[in-house]
Amino acid sequence: MEKSKGFIIVASKKHNFYLYAINLAESLRDYYEPEDECKICLVTEERFLDDRGRDVADDIILCDDHYRAKLYGMAKSPYDITMYIDADMEVEHEDITKVWDEMKDHDVVFTALTDDRDYIYAERDFDTPEGVSKFTLCGAVCLYDMSKPIVREFMDDWWDLTFRQMNDSWWPKGYADSLKSWDQFSLWWLTEKEEKYKDLKVGIFDDDLRWNYYNALNWAITKPETGPVIIRHFSAGLNKDTPIV
Amino acid sequence: MSRKQWMDNAFWETEEKKELNCILELEDDVGRVTRQQMFLHRHDKDGGENELFNEVIDALGEDSIDKETTDRVVRKEAQAEEDKLRENEHQKARKLEKLFNYKIEAFEVEEIKNSKNRKLKAKLRRAKSKIEVDMWSIMILQDQLEAESDGKE
Repeated sequence: MEKSKGFIIVASKKHNFYLYAINLAESLRDYYEPEDECKICLVTEERFLDDRGRDVADDIILCDDHYRAKLYGMAKSPYDITMYIDADMEVEHEDITKVWDEMKDHDVVFTALTDDRDYIYAERDFDTPEGVSKFTLCGAVCLYDMSKPIVREFMDDWWDLTFRQMNDSWWPKGYADSLKSWDQFSLWWLTEKEEKYKDLKVGIFDDDLRWNYYNALNWAITKPETGPVIIRHFSAGLNKDTPIV
Repeated sequence: MSRKQWMDNAFWETEEKKELNCILELEDDVGRVTRQQMFLHRHDKDGGENELFNEVIDALGEDSIDKETTDRVVRKEAQAEEDKLRENEHQKARKLEKLFNYKIEAFEVEEIKNSKNRKLKAKLRRAKSKIEVDMWSIMILQDQLEAESDGKE
């Protein structure tokens, strides 16, 4: 049987994220061909959900107001091949339809945090008991195959570990407290430190800037090599706290 | 042992080659290195020759200073061009962020929010300027009002 495919978008904690999520979901439908094959799962809080959410999403999962509810949502994806996209992003090219080809023989696929894009990262290098390390994977978009038990377990563990690091019930010795708010840390821990995931096949999107182009990047210095931007990330320029209306 | 050296990036300040900008590197007996930037005139106040100026010319050669002066102008122009390009792109990105926020606001207008016209909403989302957003917003409003009045009839 063919694996099911779909997108997952999470909007929790702040209402603005719900508005961004609706915009993202609608932009997916604007560009995906054929549109009726574009399956979208919206993970949000009951207090935010309205007709727009019900109209644009095929599946709805309710979550609480956790700061990193995205990981809860990712672990609950109803689709085999799932493409998670941060809510504050927007699709702007029809190549979004080709996203599934990026799965290849990987288990999970991310975009990269690289040295030449260092100028926009808030916190990347960090001390570990073994010396300085740095985050190399960005969790803003993530393509993963939930039909594989190891991936399901990985997603559950990513959520669980992030939940525990943020409520102080888990934190390894020798790491700065400032890292606790980053799900990149739990991702780094699982992919670099956990024996169980040493064989997890982690891939990077081809020409990954096309799949997660931070608008804060300077186009004169940093741009995709093989085609236009497919998904733009507005993260830095948004006022997420002030109600839009 | 102490050492004194004129660095090879000296350049003329003027086309007449009457002023020279240069750096003197000094190393003391214990190996500490200091650099001193100097602005030297060919002649002193009384019109006599400036010995330090001549020392730099002897050490580096006038041709070498000429070449560095020309190369420096090219480098500075290229850098200015690059800075301008980056600044332009930076401004474009800021504009795009503002436009994104403006669109999100437009989508919250009650009639646009309730509109089921996906085609027009997609047009609004693709708008490249505020004027275009306003234009598509009006189209959606009209369409929505028509849909509402059709519903009543």
